[in-house]
Amino acid sequence: MNISKLKNGIGALVQPVVAILLGLLIGAIAIAIVGGDISQTYAEMWKGAFGSFYFFTNTLSRATPIILVGLGTTLAFRAGFFNLGAEGQMILGGLCAAITALYLPGPGWVKMIAALISGIVAGGIWSAFAGWMDAKFRMNLLITTLLLNYIASLFAGYLVAYPLKDNTGSAAMAQTKMIDHSAWLPKLFHGMSLHAGFLIAVVGAVLLFLYMRFTVSGYEVRMLGSNPLFAAYGGVQRGKLMLYSMIASGGFAGLAGAVEVLGTQYRYLDGSLSTPGYAWSGIMATLLAGSHPLGTVASSLLLAALQTGGMGVERNTEVPLEIASVIQATLILFVSAKISYSFIKRKKARAQDGSVV
Amino acid sequence: MDQLFDVSLFNSALRMVTPILLAALGGAICSRAGLFNVGLEGLVLFGAFFAIVGNFLTGSVWLAVLFAVVCVMLFSLIFGYLSIHLKANAIIVGISLNFLALGLTSFCLRAIFHVKGAYYDKDMKGLPQLDIPLIKDIPWGGGVISGHSPLVYLAIILVFVFQYFLFRTVRGFRLLAVGENPVAAKSLGIKVTRIQYGAVLISGLLCGLAGAQLSLGQVTMFTENMTSGRGFIALVATMLGQSNPLGVAASSMLFGFMDAVSIRLQGFSMPTNFTNMLPYVVTLVMMFFFKNKSYVQEARKANESSR
Amino acid sequence: MLLNMENISKSYGPVKANSDINFTLGKGEIHALVGENGAGKTTLMRILYGMEKPTSGSILVNGKPQSFSTPADAIKSGIGMVHQHFMLFPSFTVAENIVIGQEPGKWNGFDRKAAVAAVEELSRQYGMPVDPNQKVESCSLGVQQRVEILKVLYQGADIIILDEPTGVLTPLEVKELLVAIKRLASQGKSFILISHKLQEIMEVADRITVLRDGRVTGVVDAKHTDIEQISRLMVGRDLAQMQRSTPKLGAPVLEVKGLTMPGDRGKPLVDGATFKVHAGEIVGVAGISGNGQSELIGAIAGLQAASSGQVTLTGQDVTGAPVRKIRELGLAHIPEDRYQWGAAKDATVVENGVMGHARRQQRFGLMRGRSIRKMVEGWVKRFEVKTGSLDTKVQFLSGGNLQKLIAARELAQGTPFLIAAEPTRGVDVGAMEMIHGELLKRRDEQGAILLVSSELTEILKLSDRILVMNEGRIVGELPSDEATEEQISLLMAGGKRQ
Repeated sequence: MNISKLKNGIGALVQPVVAILLGLLIGAIAIAIVGGDISQTYAEMWKGAFGSFYFFTNTLSRATPIILVGLGTTLAFRAGFFNLGAEGQMILGGLCAAITALYLPGPGWVKMIAALISGIVAGGIWSAFAGWMDAKFRMNLLITTLLLNYIASLFAGYLVAYPLKDNTGSAAMAQTKMIDHSAWLPKLFHGMSLHAGFLIAVVGAVLLFLYMRFTVSGYEVRMLGSNPLFAAYGGVQRGKLMLYSMIASGGFAGLAGAVEVLGTQYRYLDGSLSTPGYAWSGIMATLLAGSHPLGTVASSLLLAALQTGGMGVERNTEVPLEIASVIQATLILFVSAKISYSFIKRKKARAQDGSVV
Repeated sequence: MDQLFDVSLFNSALRMVTPILLAALGGAICSRAGLFNVGLEGLVLFGAFFAIVGNFLTGSVWLAVLFAVVCVMLFSLIFGYLSIHLKANAIIVGISLNFLALGLTSFCLRAIFHVKGAYYDKDMKGLPQLDIPLIKDIPWGGGVISGHSPLVYLAIILVFVFQYFLFRTVRGFRLLAVGENPVAAKSLGIKVTRIQYGAVLISGLLCGLAGAQLSLGQVTMFTENMTSGRGFIALVATMLGQSNPLGVAASSMLFGFMDAVSIRLQGFSMPTNFTNMLPYVVTLVMMFFFKNKSYVQEARKANESSR
Repeated sequence: MLLNMENISKSYGPVKANSDINFTLGKGEIHALVGENGAGKTTLMRILYGMEKPTSGSILVNGKPQSFSTPADAIKSGIGMVHQHFMLFPSFTVAENIVIGQEPGKWNGFDRKAAVAAVEELSRQYGMPVDPNQKVESCSLGVQQRVEILKVLYQGADIIILDEPTGVLTPLEVKELLVAIKRLASQGKSFILISHKLQEIMEVADRITVLRDGRVTGVVDAKHTDIEQISRLMVGRDLAQMQRSTPKLGAPVLEVKGLTMPGDRGKPLVDGATFKVHAGEIVGVAGISGNGQSELIGAIAGLQAASSGQVTLTGQDVTGAPVRKIRELGLAHIPEDRYQWGAAKDATVVENGVMGHARRQQRFGLMRGRSIRKMVEGWVKRFEVKTGSLDTKVQFLSGGNLQKLIAARELAQGTPFLIAAEPTRGVDVGAMEMIHGELLKRRDEQGAILLVSSELTEILKLSDRILVMNEGRIVGELPSDEATEEQISLLMAGGKRQ
């Protein structure tokens, strides 16, 4: 029994490792095509991601919002809902966090906590809206969440370009005023960009893992995603659970936005959450990890490392930093073929079990 | 309101509708063959990019369109291979394909053109605009219908071609059969995978054309992520039109029209954020009228006892 | 001989589905193939129809050796198959369904008018009336069956395989089908008839081949045999006679009053169903599948909504209540379709086993992992569920083993009321006897059981009282010791009780 568990664990690892190797191989081909030196480029990538303590913490802080978004997506995917609206949920979360921290009276830590909570709530509501439309009007969740991304991003852009615009500075950028220093998330190391948000993300991952694995409602979520009819038959209430899991999923994305605003940007700047592609990286991390909460942390770190490494590549070689996106995308594509791998396994196992039809 | 609804608005609507319509037809063919192609967005983006690359390499607009079509068909084969052959979840493959399109096009943009964000060359020629004799002289309608790139007319013709193909030919009939009940089709000796690959390739072709219209027909440039959700809007058009070419055309028209209105409204001192929102909001509202399959039906299909 | 299958063997890994099977068919012959579930009938026919490749052996049609790699090859050699689950396209018309694969028309165009004409001609020639322009989804199952046979005839088949053709038909439709088969045979068509309804086989077949565990245990002439001999060849031994004690009725556990469920076409799916199930009795619901049994169960179990009527469980009104509440009040449910409702294919044995138990096996919202594993392990041992481990995904279990797991799970809920819908579908004889024994034991322990089955033998064997459903109505109620198979069949077909 323990051996089969171990086997399962290793089997689950083989797929992503193979995918990573293939991704790096395709990356190498791309580097060769643009005339770069493959080993030098990968060395620079490694240095850019982990080369020094500064770069390392930099990678971790980039991974922070990716992990949080990834956790939200993990929960939704596990429950069987293709929530692709992380970007919009994150933007609204970040915006609400900024507004709360700016306009709520009180001491710094109250502002901070309230800002984090308001981020979660905003993301959760936006996500639940899509869930509600699916449950009530049978509107395809995958598409509505995507469309809501554009609406959220344009709406937030409007707010910071007009009513909430920071007119104090000289720069005419669409952004809010800067949040008071006392409400910032504390840095973990002096002079480094890594902030307490990373701890929140890691704790969140562990909690989500424990929840999915050991609690009754986590079990129900998994069964709902696996076969909703079976779940309904066993007494799982789909509507309720759908709403809750969408709220939680959007809440994670909203928290990602709030953490990024309170820990790194200190204001909401139009495009600052969508341009680095945190939300989409988070979704990629989930796909890469096969919707496993702890795996999502690992794959988020990998993606963040590719991205910060890509910046290193950009600084020190002729190869453009978009090489990271190519590697990421091929990674996901190879991982998505996973089902086929388990399909082969199934055929074998069926022959062993002796069921024929 | 006279200023809003004039000839040039409808003219530009027809132009804007074309990429959506072409992609939506591609989606319709796929969904008729039983595949939900979420990768439309990425395929159109590839099309837009490779049309510019083709133009850059050959200097000929027509070779550029051909180049785009061939390249996109190759990428659509990836979707086909993973979802048909390896039986991976088509939605996940589609999403990954969109990532690949975004990553690869921005990488190649840097690698080939050495620019970031957008590529524009003032010497590059776009698709010609056809003035149709006789029709262009018709007072109002002539102004709307005449003076478009050939792809616009091709898209309209293709609507009827596909309508005929699906409902009047044997091959179309078999494609419908594959989508309706693949197990039964297979038991009759119909080559299910071959037909599905065919559908995927056709949708690749159409997305290639859609992309070419986007980057060579409307403007003559490529910007990163220039599809900005049009592929997904096309997906909604497919669903709203019940994968029926004429229906798909009607719903695409609506979305293209909204695209045109949104651009026009920018001239009316409205915040661009709100005018840009219009196509997405309208799409969302239109989804009210299309009932998705209930989860019970979908789950039943997914868990059929005949394995 | 028209068809010779010689020394056919087929293995899946270590399992031999067919070993050394010889099978022959003459022109105009009706040859029945019988055997238990898993005896290898379906495998043999899939080989003949080009859906599977034999491990060894040869197939000769008209004396010429043939090798089929796809159904299309088999169709070309004049072999047609009507599958147990119809292979139809519901949204297409009857004519489209018949001509598909060999559509009339020129230049790749599909001439639908010619198709309709061809179908009309065909239907006249073989005396099987259909409306070519009707959509198949609105046809009755009997007509769908006819469409399937016409399709095979249109393809030019001389050898027609019918896989369990009568399972979903009303007795009247069965009669018509048997007449049609005989007529077609006299017109020179040959039939291979797979069925486990021995009565029907005795009526039409010329010869009978019996399979057991992948081997031929007998080829007999229908004129010189009887049902007892065939059953012995099928099972290999005489079945143990189950002893049923007289029921000790307790208080009513389930009461259903005037339950009505709306249908798509104005006709209700369930129409005013009223009955009670008492503690200590098994009430059987007989009926041809598709006559409202599924919907009735769905409404009682809280999975489907009723438009009117009332369901009371252990004295409480549970009409329209959420499933969880009904289960908490005392429902356990072996579902009709184990893959759709009864299991999550990509979840493990434990995860599938704990459904419905999870809320009881918890502390502060946490699942008690160790005691859950112990519980499931106990079932696996007792019901002899063949599985790699407790963490094997159930998609790797065979259908019969999964059914045992589900039955064990629901019996273990220990509730006063149990719905057992098709509780032994697809399981082998041993497991069937075991599940039957468990159901009777539950009844003797004052459990109330509602048994729904399309197998009359199962209903007659287990039930204390039998309800018969036809077109959504309960058309008859008989105590089982008075009921005969003929009587129930008549009621199932919508006839009056004499």
